[in-house]
Amino acid sequence: MLEMRNISKNFEAVQALNHAHLKVEKGEIMALLGSNGSGKSTLVKVLSGLVNPTGGEIYIDGEAVQIKSSADARKHGIAVAYQDFSLIPKMSVIDNIMLTLSPCKKNGQIDEKKSREMAEYYLNELQIDVSPDAPVELLMPSTQSMIEIAKALAMKPRILILDEATASLHADEVEIVFSVLKKLKAEGTSIIIVTHRMSEIFRICDGCTILKSGETVAEGNVNQLDLDEIVFHMTGKYPDKEIGKQETKEKNHHLQLLLDVKDMAMPPKLKNVNFQAYQGEIVGIGGLDGQGQSEFIRVILGDHNYTAGKMIYQGKEIRYKQAADAVSDEIGFISGDRGRESIFPLRSVAENLFAGNTARGKLFAYLSPKEIDSFAKSAMQKYGVVAGGLRHPANSLSGGNQQKLVVGRWIALSPKLLLLDDPTKGVDINSRREIHRILRECTERGMSIIYVSSDNEELLEIADRIYIFYEGQISALLAGDDRREEKLVAAMLGIHQKQEEKGKQDDESKN
Amino acid sequence: MNQKINQIKRSPAFSGMILFFLFLIVYFGVQYLQAPESFWSIKTYRNFMSLFKSFSPLILVTMGQAFLMLMGIIDISIGMQMSFANVLAAMLPEILGLPTPVAWLIALLATILLAVLNGVIVSCLRIPPLLAGFAMIYVIKGINLLIAPKPGGKVPAIANQVFDSMLFGFIPFSLILLAVMYGIWLYLEKTPLIKAVYAIGGNERNAYATGIHTTAIKIKIYALAGFFTGLAGLCYTAAYTTGNPITGEIYGLQSISACILGGISLAGGWGNMASAVYGVGFQILVQTTVPKVFTMISKATGVNYNTYWHNLFSDIIILLGLVVTIFAIRAQRTTFISGLKKQIKGAKADE
Repeated sequence: MLEMRNISKNFEAVQALNHAHLKVEKGEIMALLGSNGSGKSTLVKVLSGLVNPTGGEIYIDGEAVQIKSSADARKHGIAVAYQDFSLIPKMSVIDNIMLTLSPCKKNGQIDEKKSREMAEYYLNELQIDVSPDAPVELLMPSTQSMIEIAKALAMKPRILILDEATASLHADEVEIVFSVLKKLKAEGTSIIIVTHRMSEIFRICDGCTILKSGETVAEGNVNQLDLDEIVFHMTGKYPDKEIGKQETKEKNHHLQLLLDVKDMAMPPKLKNVNFQAYQGEIVGIGGLDGQGQSEFIRVILGDHNYTAGKMIYQGKEIRYKQAADAVSDEIGFISGDRGRESIFPLRSVAENLFAGNTARGKLFAYLSPKEIDSFAKSAMQKYGVVAGGLRHPANSLSGGNQQKLVVGRWIALSPKLLLLDDPTKGVDINSRREIHRILRECTERGMSIIYVSSDNEELLEIADRIYIFYEGQISALLAGDDRREEKLVAAMLGIHQKQEEKGKQDDESKN
Repeated sequence: MNQKINQIKRSPAFSGMILFFLFLIVYFGVQYLQAPESFWSIKTYRNFMSLFKSFSPLILVTMGQAFLMLMGIIDISIGMQMSFANVLAAMLPEILGLPTPVAWLIALLATILLAVLNGVIVSCLRIPPLLAGFAMIYVIKGINLLIAPKPGGKVPAIANQVFDSMLFGFIPFSLILLAVMYGIWLYLEKTPLIKAVYAIGGNERNAYATGIHTTAIKIKIYALAGFFTGLAGLCYTAAYTTGNPITGEIYGLQSISACILGGISLAGGWGNMASAVYGVGFQILVQTTVPKVFTMISKATGVNYNTYWHNLFSDIIILLGLVVTIFAIRAQRTTFISGLKKQIKGAKADE
């Protein structure tokens, strides 16, 4: 039915897809799996016409097709329910479902009666209980998700793609969706499901394609695979055969609680987060994309407001109104999204390094260029930033050096608490090591670091303790011997928590 | 009944409607105070109807702007485009000796073409609409001044007479024209085209992901707005019987503020044509009422205030109206801010 061969896609230096392939038969439900950044989403976007691949061919029913836009994709009968929705917030439920599908009367106007009937058919099919005239922005996220699925169904696709569409659904809604999928399958629709919920895969999928670093590493029948094998293909390691990581050297620090977060909540992203950071340690935060990690970091920084819970920093309860307050309380923040959140691309290297100081200094204090330059020069030597010159614009540096620049900016201020949100995303391996080295040195001087990373190996390497987020909650805390990749992956997929609970129940029943 | 009221309250045009009717009362109130003895005569009615004649160009331009704004685009050069049509219609008979109907048809088509060009710049070349509009103002102004260095041209008297005439003696021609143009909206409102416009205004990326040809739709809407603008230029020609190369410039900003006053979101995807009409109505009533109030004050106190004072006060009232529409309605405040960002950074700001 559908075959994608040798699909490649480069985003500048990053290779998102490297000769990936995917094959789906008529009436087959295929699971598309892979860890963060493995290229699943890009592959889906290639199919839906949002991303144009740099190489490769797509065949539908044995014929080579070109998908250059979303309109092309629809012409070939491909419909996608996106994770981040393709709904128009201010439009009504009907208008959203029927957008571009509405039947017209002879005079060219939309036949509203028929249109309403069709939309209601799909609402009934998925048992969505909403007023068809309500604007979707007022609906609950899970209902919006259902409407996104209804919208994809209304296109009567031959190939239906659910891109983590079930992620925000409740259990009963998942049941409804699955029963509809089974019906579609019987009618001969091919379905591709991208999901992180492993249990769903075994329940509904026939086939399974696993991507790793943009390559297809495994394809097969779900019956012939077990969870261990899937984790192996996603991570490159067998959970069972993994030997425990060597102990990190015991630090003889007198652990002093620096940050204590109690029952913090920020619906819908965060629920009941309890989190501690001690002085002089690196706390890792892991999890799949968008499970609330970056929101959590920004809550600490005061960029987002939390609705419930407490935050105690240096023994005092705090509630920052804006990031500037947190910075003046000696909290630093390094974002992995350089372009948007940290670099001033056109300003000079020296000015970029000095920017943190500016945030703390007096607004009208006199600043001589010499002062900035000498500050920057010492920082550059210390942190090994390679730059053509102090006065060159920051965007003349490579990604890795830009990131070191940002790290240098904050470390030079020696904050008590440094927050990092995936700081090594798209950074080459050498710069990454360099950044890790700098961070470790800092902890020895008593700085505490909270390190969010989407890279498991990195977390295991650098963090003393790792909190794992799953659907806005902390699903596990790994410390000491527990810091092993298979445990990390299990917790990321929300398996850990359930097994633990099950174990507890078993214990209780034994007692 | 209650349901009906709620429905009106939720309508995007609600705030504009309140402003409009409020000032309609003020307008008639001032008329009454000025001349209580002749208020109940036909004169009041005629005065009111003459507003349609002199302001139909602005109303039509605002309607054109509304189509674009629903899509999340503002075109500040739209007033200049109106002057372009005006200048062509007035000068072509003089320069090339063309018969008036041909000249007017050419003027209309040329304006549509100009708007399409604008649309290509914004949607294909992805220039932020505010920048494109700003540049276009000067380009079109240059063309206008080349065609007509100073106001002038040849406009047959019959055009003005027709435009000035009253059907059955009490319905002005301009009002009929406006009603027809509003009818076009009422028809289009229920077509897939306008649904697509709302979708693009609401979230362009998602509209694209749904399979809407965003670029093609944008250009079509630019052409439609160009048609309204061109017609506005012809109305201007008929109403003022002259070709003026630059007077339209101010209409660009006035039409935008009128749309916002009426409740159309600057970010797009929210509002309707009624919003635009209420908004522009409010603005016209303020502009005509304030000078009357000043004359009354002058009469009473003997102090004369020049027109700058009139403008200052009417603009302050319009500013207050904007503040009310944007900040009284919480939903609009956020969309206004995001809309402003979108206009400055280009269409991709919401991604």
